[in-house]
Amino acid sequence: MPEPLLETRFLERLERLSIQWQNSLPGLVGGHNTSRFAGAGQEFLDHRQFHHGDDLRAVNWRAFLRLEKLFLKMFQLEPRIPVRMLIDVSKSMETGEISKFYYAQRLAAALCYVGLVRLDSIALQPFSNKLHDAFTASGGRHRFTPAMNFLSGLQPAGQTNFLECSRQFCSKYPQRGLTLVISDFLDDRDCEKPIQYFADFGHELILLQIWADEDREPPWEGELEIEDAETGQKVELAFDSDARAQYTAAFDAHADLIRKVAERNNGRYLGVPTSVPIEQAIFGPLVKSGAVA
Amino acid sequence: MNFLNLGLGELLGLVGAISAGVVALYLLDRSKRRQLVATLRFWSAADVRTELKHRRRIQQPWSLLLQLISLALLLTAIAGPQLGIFDATGRDHVIVLDTSAWMSSRSGRGILMDQAKADARAYLRSIPRRDRVMLVRADALATPATAFESSRGVIESAIQQSQPGASALNLTQALEFAERAQKLQSQRAGEIVFVGAGRVSEEEAGLSTLPANLRVVTTNSTQENVGLRKIGLRRSQSAPDSWDIFVVVRNYGVRPQSVDLGLQFSKSPAGSKRLTLRPGTEEQATFTYAAKSGGFLEARLNVRDAFPQDDRAIVELPPQVSSHVVVYSNEPQLLRPLFAANPQVDAVFETTDKFDPAAKADVVVLDRFTPPSPPRTASIWIQPPAAGSPVPVKATRTGVRLDQWHPETTLGAGLRTRDVTLESAEVFSPASGDITVAETTDGPVIVARSSNSKQVVIGFHPGRGAMKYQLATPLLIANILRWMTPGAFRQWEFQAGTVGTVNVAVEKDAKPEDIRVLDAENRSLPFTLETNASGNNLRFFSGAPGTVRVQMGDREAVYSLTLPDVGEAAWRVPASVHKGVPRPVTADAAPRDLWPWLALLGGIGLLADWLLYGRSRAFRLRASGAMAPHFKKMAQWRKAS
Repeated sequence: MPEPLLETRFLERLERLSIQWQNSLPGLVGGHNTSRFAGAGQEFLDHRQFHHGDDLRAVNWRAFLRLEKLFLKMFQLEPRIPVRMLIDVSKSMETGEISKFYYAQRLAAALCYVGLVRLDSIALQPFSNKLHDAFTASGGRHRFTPAMNFLSGLQPAGQTNFLECSRQFCSKYPQRGLTLVISDFLDDRDCEKPIQYFADFGHELILLQIWADEDREPPWEGELEIEDAETGQKVELAFDSDARAQYTAAFDAHADLIRKVAERNNGRYLGVPTSVPIEQAIFGPLVKSGAVA
Repeated sequence: MNFLNLGLGELLGLVGAISAGVVALYLLDRSKRRQLVATLRFWSAADVRTELKHRRRIQQPWSLLLQLISLALLLTAIAGPQLGIFDATGRDHVIVLDTSAWMSSRSGRGILMDQAKADARAYLRSIPRRDRVMLVRADALATPATAFESSRGVIESAIQQSQPGASALNLTQALEFAERAQKLQSQRAGEIVFVGAGRVSEEEAGLSTLPANLRVVTTNSTQENVGLRKIGLRRSQSAPDSWDIFVVVRNYGVRPQSVDLGLQFSKSPAGSKRLTLRPGTEEQATFTYAAKSGGFLEARLNVRDAFPQDDRAIVELPPQVSSHVVVYSNEPQLLRPLFAANPQVDAVFETTDKFDPAAKADVVVLDRFTPPSPPRTASIWIQPPAAGSPVPVKATRTGVRLDQWHPETTLGAGLRTRDVTLESAEVFSPASGDITVAETTDGPVIVARSSNSKQVVIGFHPGRGAMKYQLATPLLIANILRWMTPGAFRQWEFQAGTVGTVNVAVEKDAKPEDIRVLDAENRSLPFTLETNASGNNLRFFSGAPGTVRVQMGDREAVYSLTLPDVGEAAWRVPASVHKGVPRPVTADAAPRDLWPWLALLGGIGLLADWLLYGRSRAFRLRASGAMAPHFKKMAQWRKAS
C-alpha cells in the first residue's frame, strides 16, 4: 500500500484553513465568499425599482401597501466559485535532489483538502504539453481520498507547453474561477503570455513556483555534461563560481517576471524551494499571503 | 625505520603504486560529470564556457601535490622513524633480588629489604626503556617473579611485592638460574644484577666463578648478630620424666659477644646460662628439665642486635605417656620385676578376687585364673585354666623343651633361648589369624590374637622355672606391652632449627616405604634417603617456617623449623665485578619517535586539500543555497489587490 501523501496530523491542522480569493466572481449559490453581485442569497443587500420581468417573490409588499409603489428586495450573493489547480507533470518536475513533482503532489493535496473541507468545488488538472484527464470533486472531505489517489497516480512525463495548455484550459473551463498553477515554470518557451491568457479570461491567479536548490544555484564545478530532462539535449561546458552567479541571476529574473505577471493581473505569486517543508510553506508564506486563511 | 619488513625497492614500488592510484583517483574526481537539469535556458544565459579544456589535463596541480605529499608523510609515519641512535632490539637483564632471611634485619629506619628494593628500582630507571628485565627472587631457591618484561610497571610491582623469606641465600644456584634464563629466553643478553646483602654460607663466601656480565649492587648491612641455630630435646635415658635439652648459639659477627641464654617451659623459668662466643663460632648449652606434662619450651637470647628474628625459638613438647597395667595375681612377687624394669610402664598389682572387668587400665594381666567375665581391654593370660582359656588348650605337658621362637613377628623380635625346658606348659590350638610366638614340639605355647582387644596367651609362667633366668623373658613382656600400647613406647625427638634442608640420621636398615615425612597439615613432603658409611641419612627441604614430623616405626622426630636460616658469612665480591647502579640513560640519548608528527602533518595536508579543493566546497554551496531563496522570496509576496 503506497504511503499517503499527507499525514493525519497535518490534515487536522489544515482543517481550520480556507482558500481565499480577492475578485468577485459569479457562481452558484452555496459558497462562503461574498460577492459584489446581487442574487439569490440570504443576506439583504438593497432595494430597487421593480421592472418588468422581475421575480414577484422578491417584491417588498409592505412598502407597496404603504407607498403604492413596487420595490424589489436585492440579496447579497455568496457564490460557490470553482477552484482549479493546474499541476505541472512535465519531466522537468522530476529533477532535483528532493523531487519537485512529489512536492507539487503534496502541495496540491493539501490545498485540495482545504477546499473540500470548505465545500468548494475542486478540479485537479494535470498538464505538460497538453491538458491531461482532470479530477473534479465538489465539497465534502469524504471526496479527499479519491483526490489523493488521483494525485498519487500521476507520473511525470513530456515537455512543458504553457501556451497550448492555457488555450485548452480557457476553452475547457469557460466559467471564471480561482486558478492555482503549481509548476516550476521552466518552459523553454515564453510563459508570460500563457499566464496572461488566464487573467484575460477572468480567472483569478495564484502562481506557486516550485524549484529545487540545484535549479537556482547548481552546486557543481568544473567540466560538466548537462542534459535537459525534458528534451534530452546535452551541453558540455565548464562551470565555475562566476558562471554560477550569472546562472542564479538569470533564474531570479525569470522568477521575478512570473511574479510581475501575477501582480499585474491582481493575482498572487509564491516561490517555494523544495528544501522548505510543506507544512512550513503552507502555514508560513502561503497563509501570510492571504491565499489561505 | 620499519617499513613493514619491506626492502627499499619494494617500498618504492609500493609508494609508486599508491601515487598512481592517487593520480588516477584525482583525474577521475576532476573529470567531466554528467548532470540532469530541468532546463537549459539559464545555462546559456550564464555565459558559461562551452569550449572544454582537455579532459585528462591536471587542472589543480597544487591539490594533487598536496595529496601526494600527505600520503608520503602518512606512509613514512607507518614506518615508525626515530630521531637519534637506533637500537631496536634492546637487551635482556636479570635482576636477582636477595630475599633471604637476613634481608629482614634492621637497617636505619627500615629493613635491608627496603634498601634493596630502592636499589633495584634505581637500576630499573638507569636502563633504556626498550630493555627487558626478568626479576628473580633468591633465597634458598631461585624463583622467577616475572618473565623478561618490558613494562616497567610490572617489574616495579614485582619488586614492591618481594618480601624477605626464612631461608638463607643460595647464591650459586641463583646466579646459575639467571645465566640459564638469559641463555634460553633472551634475544640479546644484558646484565645479571645481584641486589641484596649477600649473606651466604661459608662455602659461598669466596665464590669466584661468576658470570662475566654480573653486576652487584650490595646493600650495606651490619655484621654483628648472635642467634639461635638449633634446639634439641629428647627424653632422658636415666630419668624418664626429664628432658635433655641442648641449645646451639652462633655469633655471626666479627666481635666476641657475651649473651644470656634463658629457657622457659610454659612460661616458667627452666634454666639460664651465660655464653661467651668468639666471632664466627658456635656454642652448645645443655640443660636437663623434669616435666611430665606437655607445654611450650621457649629459648631466648637476651641480646640486642640487628636481626632479632633468630633470638627466640619455641618448641611444643607432648606430655609423658606411660602404659597403665593392672596385674591380677596371687603371687605378685614373681611378676613385679618384669613390669618394674620398664620406666614407661605403670604397674598395679591386685589379687585375683579383686578382678574388675571395667578396670581403667591399658593392659590387664591375668595370672593363672579365669575371670567371671573377660576384660574389656588388652589382656595377657598366663597359664589360664583350660576351661576358661581364650585360646583352646590342646594339652598340658610337663618337661617340654621350648624349641622355637618366631622372631619374624613383632612379638618375637629379638627373642632367643637355648636348651630351655619348661616344667609345665599348656599347648594351644590356635585359630586362623592367631600369631604363634613360641612353640614346642607338641605345639604353640605362646599365642597372640589381634581382635577388638588384643590378647596374648602364655602357656607357662615366665617368672617361674627356667624362664625366670632367661633374658628373653623381660624382652617378651616388653614386646607384648609395646605391641599392645605402641604410643607409650614411641621414641620422641624434638628439634627447633632453621628452615631449608634438614638432615636426619636413620637406621641403616630403614626402608623408604616405612618412613613418612609430614608437614603441619599432615601432607607428605618429598625426601631422599642416602646410604653412607655411618648409616642412612634422610634429607628433606622446607622453604617455609613450620613443623615437620619424621615417622620411622616407633620412632618419631619432630622438627620445629621456626628459626630463620642466616648465612654465616658475607659474600666477598671479586674486584673484577661491576658494582653499583650505572648512570641512567638520559632522555636525549634515547631515540625519539617521529611518527606522531608525520601522521599529524599528513592528516592536516589531506584535510586542507579536502577543504580547499575537495567535495566540501560543493557541500557548502548546497547548504548555503537551501534557505536563502526561500527567505528572499518571502519578501517578494505582494497582495494583488
